[in-house]
Order: sequence, then C-alpha cells, then structure tokens
Amino acid sequence: MSWLSDLLGPLKGFLVPLRQIRKGPVTRKYPQVKRVKPQRFHGRHTLNRYPNGMEKCIGCELCAGVCPANCIYVRGKDNPPDNPVSPGERWGFVYEINMLRCIFCAMCVEACPTQAITMTHLFEMSVTNRDDAIYTRTELLVDRDGTPNYPPHEDSPLTNLEELRKGDGWMRATSPSGRREYEGIVAWTPSARTGELPAERGQSSGTPQVSEDADG
Amino acid sequence: MRSMPPSKEGRQPLSDTKNAPEMVNITINGIQHEAVAGERVIIAAEKAGEYIPRFCHHPKLDPVGKCRQCLVEVEGPRGKQLLPSCAIYVTDGMVIDTQSDVVKKAQKGVLEYLLINHPLDCPVCDKAGECPLQDQTMTHGPGESRFVEAKRKFKKPIPVSDLVLLDRERCILCDRCVRVADQIAGDPLITFNERGNQTQILTFPNEPFASYFSGNTVQVCPVGALTSTDYRFRARPWDLEITPTVSLRDTVHSNAEINTSRGRVIRVYGATNDHVNDGWLSDKDRFSFGAINSDERVTTPLRKTGTGFEEITWADAIDTVSARLGAMIGTEVGSIGGANNTNEEAYALSKFMRTVIGSPHVDAQLGDGFEPQLAAAVIPRAKIDDIDAATTILVWGPDLKERLPVLYLRVRKAVRNGANLVVVAPTRTGLDAIATHVIRYRAGSGQDVIRKLANADKSMTAILETLAEGPVVTLFGRTSIAEDPRLAESVAAYGRTLDGAKLMPLLQRANVFGALDMGLAPNLLPGRISTTDTDASSHIEETWGPLPDALGRDTAAMLSGAVSGDIRALILVGADPVRDFPDPQAAEKALEEAEFVVAIDAFVTDSSRHADIILPAALWSEVEGTVTNLEGRVQVVGAALPPKGQARSVIGMLNDIATSMGAELTSFDVSVVSKEIATVAPAYQGITRDGIVFTSSGAGIVVPSQEAEIIVEMAPRYASMAPDAVPTEASGSAVIVPAQGTQPLGYIPTDQAVPMVTDRYTLHYAPAMYDDGVITRHAPSIADLVRDPTVGLNPRDASILAVANGSIVVVDGSVELPVRIDEAVPEGSVVLPFNHAATKGLQAVPAVTVEPIRDES
Ligand code: SF4
Ligand code: SF4
Ligand code: SF4
Ligand code: FES
Repeated sequence: MSWLSDLLGPLKGFLVPLRQIRKGPVTRKYPQVKRVKPQRFHGRHTLNRYPNGMEKCIGCELCAGVCPANCIYVRGKDNPPDNPVSPGERWGFVYEINMLRCIFCAMCVEACPTQAITMTHLFEMSVTNRDDAIYTRTELLVDRDGTPNYPPHEDSPLTNLEELRKGDGWMRATSPSGRREYEGIVAWTPSARTGELPAERGQSSGTPQVSEDADG
Repeated sequence: MRSMPPSKEGRQPLSDTKNAPEMVNITINGIQHEAVAGERVIIAAEKAGEYIPRFCHHPKLDPVGKCRQCLVEVEGPRGKQLLPSCAIYVTDGMVIDTQSDVVKKAQKGVLEYLLINHPLDCPVCDKAGECPLQDQTMTHGPGESRFVEAKRKFKKPIPVSDLVLLDRERCILCDRCVRVADQIAGDPLITFNERGNQTQILTFPNEPFASYFSGNTVQVCPVGALTSTDYRFRARPWDLEITPTVSLRDTVHSNAEINTSRGRVIRVYGATNDHVNDGWLSDKDRFSFGAINSDERVTTPLRKTGTGFEEITWADAIDTVSARLGAMIGTEVGSIGGANNTNEEAYALSKFMRTVIGSPHVDAQLGDGFEPQLAAAVIPRAKIDDIDAATTILVWGPDLKERLPVLYLRVRKAVRNGANLVVVAPTRTGLDAIATHVIRYRAGSGQDVIRKLANADKSMTAILETLAEGPVVTLFGRTSIAEDPRLAESVAAYGRTLDGAKLMPLLQRANVFGALDMGLAPNLLPGRISTTDTDASSHIEETWGPLPDALGRDTAAMLSGAVSGDIRALILVGADPVRDFPDPQAAEKALEEAEFVVAIDAFVTDSSRHADIILPAALWSEVEGTVTNLEGRVQVVGAALPPKGQARSVIGMLNDIATSMGAELTSFDVSVVSKEIATVAPAYQGITRDGIVFTSSGAGIVVPSQEAEIIVEMAPRYASMAPDAVPTEASGSAVIVPAQGTQPLGYIPTDQAVPMVTDRYTLHYAPAMYDDGVITRHAPSIADLVRDPTVGLNPRDASILAVANGSIVVVDGSVELPVRIDEAVPEGSVVLPFNHAATKGLQAVPAVTVEPIRDES
C-alpha cells in the first residue's frame, strides 16, 4: 500500500495547519498584551532593601568580580555610624550596571551574599543614548517601601511596573548550594519589595534526605 | 645596653658565603630529598614541592607553632607523631608524611576550629580575595562547620594607631603581628590579652601602636584582623593592578608593589628582595602615596604673573624657557636637584646642562649631604648584605630609625643574630637600645671622638675592643644638617682603618646616589668619573661633544652666585632649597634675585613659588626607569599610571627644550636612554633597564665599585633573552665586565681635621621620619603624624637657664618652642627638629643662642 501513503503523504502535512486553525492565533498585540514569562526569567536588575528600609547591598564587589561581561562598577564605603545605610560596616555608595554590556546571565545574583541584586521580568530597556544605558543607584535601588524605579522611560507603554515587581528571589529561594535536603526551606532574606517569598519547590525529585555524595 | 632576646635560629647562612650549607637527606611522602640541615621542615617541604598549609609560620619570624595548621606526621622512635612542621627542624634521615589521612583529618579539624569564632564576614573584609584563611579553607578545610552556637563578639573595628585598625573577631591568634612588632621592628606595642575564648590582640592601655613599621603587621596578618585605614573599603584585591617597583622615600630603595585601581594608586605593599628589604617597608614608604593623588599637584605648566600663577600651554612654556635660557651664557645657568628622579632623568639633566646649556653647575645635593665623590665612589663599599655578615657594625650618621628605617631593620636583624653594634651620635638614636656601645658627643665635637678612637684613648678601651672584632661595616653620614659635612669623611677614613672594613655612605634623599652616579654634582661626570680625570671625560666627550671647561659650582655657590649676579638662571628640579638648604634665607634671597627661575616640580613649594615658570613633573609611580640605592644597587621603578594632568617626565621636557634650542639631547624612550647610559657611563657599563628586568630575577644589579666583575644571578628561562649581558651557559649567570680603559673613580676618604665648635650652645638639627617634606605634607594618612616640636636640652643646661619641661625658649632669636629636658642630650647641645613647620627659616648653623622667655607678670 505504499503507493497510497505516497499519495496521502503530502496531504498529511496540511493537517498541521488545519489543527492549528482551531487553536487561534499565537501572536500577541505586543506591547499592549504581554506574554507571561517563566518564573526564572532574567530581566532588568533591582537593588533591594530589607523590610526595615535598609539597603541590602554592602558594596562587596562580588557581583562586579563575577560578572563575565565586566559591566558592574561598585565602590564601598564605611557606613556612617549614626545613620547606617546598610547593616554592618560597609555600604555600596557607587553602583552601576552598563545594560548595553550585560548579558543577563544572573551570575551577579548568584554571587551576591545578601541578595541585594536580583533580576526582574522587565526586559524593555531601549535607550536613545549610551549614557542612559548605565543604570546607577538611582534607577536600580528600590524605594524604602519596595517600589522599584523604572526610568528612563517611565511613560513608555513598554515599561510595566508589574514586571519589575516579579522575579525577586526566585532563583535562590531554596538551598544556596542546591542541595536536596534543603528543598522547601527558605534561605532568602525577606525584602521590602516582596516580603518573604515561599520556597521554590521541585528543584530536586524524591524525598529530602542527606545525600551520600555531598562534600563534607 | 643590649636588651633584645637573640634570634632563636642564630645567624642565617648567607647565600654568597663561601662555605656551602650542610645538606641532609630527608624523605617526604616516600620521596627522598636533600635539605639544608637545621632548616624548618615546612620550608624544606616547600622547596621539595610539598606545600603545607600554615598561618603563623613566616620565614622571617621565629617559629612559635601557634596555629597548628601545619601538622605533619614524622616518624619517631615511638611511631608516627603529629608535629607542627614550622617548629621542627630537619635532621638526617627524617621521614615526613604530609598527606596521610591522619594529617588531613588534623588539618581539617584545625581549620574547623579556627573558623568557630571567625565572623565569616568575607564580603566586607578587606582581606577577602587574598586571604590565606579563605584560600586554605578552600584547599584544606572541611567545607562545613558543625558549630551552631553563638560566636564570640567584639567591638569592631578598633583603631590601634592612626594607620591601623583591628578587628578582633577575625583574629586567629597567630602571633605574626606581635612577632613583627617585637622581633623585626623592635616596638613591642601589641600583645595578647585575656585568655581562653576571650584571648585577643590589644595595645597597652593609653599606648597607641605608634610604630614606624605598623604597616608590615597589616601585610603579614593572615586574615583581615589588621587592616590599614587608608585602604579600608577602597577596593577589592581583584580590582588591583600590580606594578613592581622600589620605594623612593629614602635611599634604601625597598622593593614594593604599587596597587592601582581605576587609575589611582590605592595601596603600596612590600615586595621581598632579600638583598635589600626582606619584604619590609616603613610606614612612610607605604602610606605616602596619597601625595600622588593630591588635588594640589601642579598639573599644567604655570607662568608667574604679578599676583600668582597663570596656566599656560606646554608649547608656550617650552618656548619661554628655551628663549630665556638660550639668551644666556651657559655658565650663567645652574641646576639644583635631580635626586628625586630616575637615573635616566638625572642623566638627561646632566647631559642637558653640560652640553645643551654648556654649564658645569649641577648639584643634586642641597648642602645637606657631603662630598659627592665620597658618596658615589667610596671604596671599599659595603653592600646591605655585608651588614648581615659583619661581626661589628659602626653606625655614625643620621638616626637610621628616623631616616633610613628599613636599613635600621637590617642592622637590628644583624644584632639579633649576634653582631656587635657601636652607635656614635650627639643624641639618642633608635638603635641605642640594642647597641653594644653608645658614644654620645656634644654636637660639633665629633672630631674629638675620632681622635680619641684613633689614638686609643683610655676612655675608649671597651669600644675599641669591640671595633677590633672584624669584619667591621661602617655606616657613615651626617648626624645633623648643622654638622660639618667633612666629619662624615673623617668617620669614613677612620672606619677604613678597621679590620675587614667596608663603608656605606648614608645619604637620604630618594635617588641621590643615582643622581650622583649620573654626574649631578659639580665634580662628577656620569659613571663615577671625576671632572678632573681627562682620560675618562674624553670617553664621555666622544658621545656628548665637548664638556664645559669652567669649574662647577655646588648648590651653595650657585645660590650665592645668584645673589651676586654671576648666576642669572636657576633650574630647580624637584628641589626645595628654601626648606632643605641649611641656610633657608640665603636660598630664598637667591631665588628672588635670580633673573629667571624654572622649577620642575609637582607642587608649588616655598621654593617653586619664586619660579617664573613651573613645569609639572611626574612623580614616583608615574615614571619608569632605573634608580641606584645606597649600596650602588641599580633597580627598576615602574610606572603604574600616566602622569597626572599634563605632568611629564623630566626626559620628555628636557628633550623638548633642547629641540627648541636647536640641539639634540636623548631619546624619549627610557630603555634607549638607559642603553646610552650603559655605553657612556663607565661604572654603568652593561647595566641597562632591560638587562635588569630580564637578568637579575628582580634583585637588581650592584654597580661594581672598581672590582673586576660581578656575577648577576639570572633566572634560567631568561638567560637567552638577556640583551646586554653575556650569558655563560653553564651557570645561568651573566658576567658584566666594567669598561675597558676608562676606570671609574675609587675614592679613598681621608681625615679632614674638622675644627671643634666651642660656643656655649651647639645645634643638633635633624629631621624625624614624619617631617614637613612636600610629599609627607600632601599625603593625608601620614601628614598628621608629625611630632610636636620641642627644644631638647640637657638637665644641667635647663637648670642654668632656669627652665622646666614645657617652658618656652627662643632659639637663635627666632624660633620659640617648648623645652624637653632630656638626659640623652649632651651638655651644651640643643636638639631641634629640622624640616618642621615650627623651625621653618632657622639657619642650620653649628652654634646657636638659647634664651628663656620670662613671664613678665
Ligand atoms: S546578569 Fe550577568 S552580565 Fe549582567 S550584570 Fe549580572 S553578571 Fe553581569
Ligand atoms: S549587589 Fe551584592 S554582590 Fe554586588 S556589591 Fe552589593 S552586596 Fe556585593
Ligand atoms: S591580628 Fe592577624 S597577625 Fe595578629 S594574631 Fe591576629 S590573625 Fe595573627
Ligand atoms: S604554621 Fe605551624 S603552627 Fe602555625
């Protein structure tokens, strides 16, 4: 019967579009309608605060050190003792990311010991001159109540505050080292923007148990 | 007098001693190795390629075995034993295991234990990234702690001095800082307090850690417990770009590295060169880089106007200078300074003055040194290593601790290892505490001491017995700027008569020895040639063209010439005669009277204020080239940054001025200038910048002083790359043979019959480490460390004058200062700090008057 399948073969191909017609269009009216992004989407960064309003960044430059695109510039300073900016001795008084160079790899997020720098779901960051692509503390740092800032195009239909609120902390909401036995245990300091996030589930399968192969 | 515990390990075998050290066989991890008998096991293992983790071990400090991180198993009569490898010494047939399970478990256990109370605040710690505790936790640690209880808490950080902060939570009690302060610097000002869990490093109550070497404790601390205030939170180690160099804050030329980040120098660290500084730096070496970043630097050429200075372009400045100088006869121009520059810059200046201008009037010393030929070419000249090898050391010169601090450490080390030390000075010096004998004399009567020593006066018997134990290294120089410069030569002449004599001239200004070697003295030509040596100077004339015939003037004669009108133009090259010349008023008058003054300077100083044109000069860390230290060792300084603003190196500006005057000077390229020196300057034959970089493994090359040849140790992999040395294949070393025919000068000091000063009060006028020098003043971290000025008086003189401690007296009718009554000041002497804001303008004369101020009421 091979002659029959040879005949029907090309027609079979038409079944695919016929089936898709029923499902309706996949294109969206971007930017009015936006796609819901995966939880761990890597978009623009924010610099977070603790719920009490203190800055999380301690100016340690670990993010700058790890960044493969070399696009972060941080400088630390002694915290003023009477009015500290961050808990501890040091705060980051210069913080800049050159978004033209950033490759959105989130290595900075992983490196940060205080979860000060995290990524959001906002990726629309077109600018009309190069200087605007350098995001400084003014743009990156959230307000004391956790409201993110989103210049330089505040009035653009592209910038959606909701997207800037999303994504905080999802990358490392569980074990910092990714070990199974920490599944479901929050290891994420609460932040002014989102409070304490629930632990991310499903990073490992099976029941939590002490692994044999873990180093130690 | 000696109050120092001797070193536990005795005298270290010197690398160049003839008798090779005794070797023994040891077994490390089943492999046979040779080791030096008596060496610490940890060092022997490291040489054999087995790195044993450690915290308290430091090769330059006595072992204490405090941290237990270096445990290894050693086979003994009762089986294998865990022993700290830093505190045991190799013996023949020793069997060592550094890798066994027991050893690994012990090392992990120690690290877990060390981290129990460690705050783990690496993200905010200045040491993180270059921290042995971090590194060794990664390589040898357990990776996880079982400690869940609360950690010990201390207030953090607490300042232990103006320069150093202490965070006791991070301290792992390794004892390194305590040992550096005690054994190396001799300032036992920090120590352990309390016990058990509360053990902590602290200073003594009300006694800050005021050591001239406090920065070294920061560098040796294996954690971030000791940090320096001026580096605090300024950068992280991975930001730093490192440029190897040597420090130019004194003439020892301690090896250092400049750490820059984003175009600024933010830290200076010591580098180890065992021939020079053993890795140590003084705090002045370490913390004076702030001046480079100073906002007060001159960054554009300036022209004097009626009211101040106006900025001009380089082209304008060069035109003005060349037009004005070109309109004068060569011998009407003089240049003062050049000691703060590299050899190449000094050479360019020397050549510029002698050929382009046609003037013999050059002087790198400002009347604060002594006979240039004595400084440049004294024989037999001592190397710094000779201090280690000496049985007796005679120090008769500036207070080493204040003026040549790293040399002070070297003398201290030799004394600790058993050398005798004789210190001669008019008042207390930093070395007195460890000296076998101290001779104090009334300032101005030094010749009397020499006479007594030379004639074996009865009062000197004990001292002469010590001095008879050779070899004797004599460190000679001027104890004070008010002292007759000829006394230094008398001292050298006396030192030469001692058994196995070696002589080391002590001048203090940056690269003054390099400047003298480049001919920046009225009676010297490049390469240690006397201007009167016609044979040798004709060798230089082959390249340079004819040299001026007239006799050169020194700084004093140039300044008086400027007043009398014989000298019409003065070029100040990084020189501040108004502050540094013994007679400041004469210097000021000369600069006012001179028709035209050009200052090549980085700051507007009391002297360059009088200049018609100021040309902005690049500073240390901005120019590369070679420099020569007090033993004649040529080393390389590196350029870590471009010069600030429009500042330039002296080579560049002199080349431009020469071109604009229609002459040709040298290349702009330092390497090429260095090669020119190596052909023109007889003593520097074959010694080039590139040669040093490639051949000397970073140790530098000592200019041969009339000895036949010197062997340069060379890293084998560079052997074939050495451009100017002749490699001998077998040994991997290069032989440099001095110039044929033109022999450099060898200066034999003679006794100078210096007259005694017999006035009622004689002056001892010497600067302290932190003085009012232009760099110190502009370096924020050390500018405030200048001590309060006092007039030191003997108790008997004080009672004759009826003054008490703190009473105000007038010295020489001009300087009013409080009295400090001090047993260490001989009767009839007055001790004042030179180069201090309070004594500004006081003439450095041998004798002064002292009058108390009476309360009128
Ligand atoms: S996301 Fe990656 S490239 Fe972008 S700043 Fe962070 S580390 Fe650098
Ligand atoms: S964002 Fe995080 S990693 Fe970067 S400097 Fe601040 S605290 Fe350090
Ligand atoms: S302060 Fe540093 S050097 Fe001193 S004992 Fe503690 S860890 Fe060691
Ligand atoms: S290094 Fe041996 S005990 Fe510390």
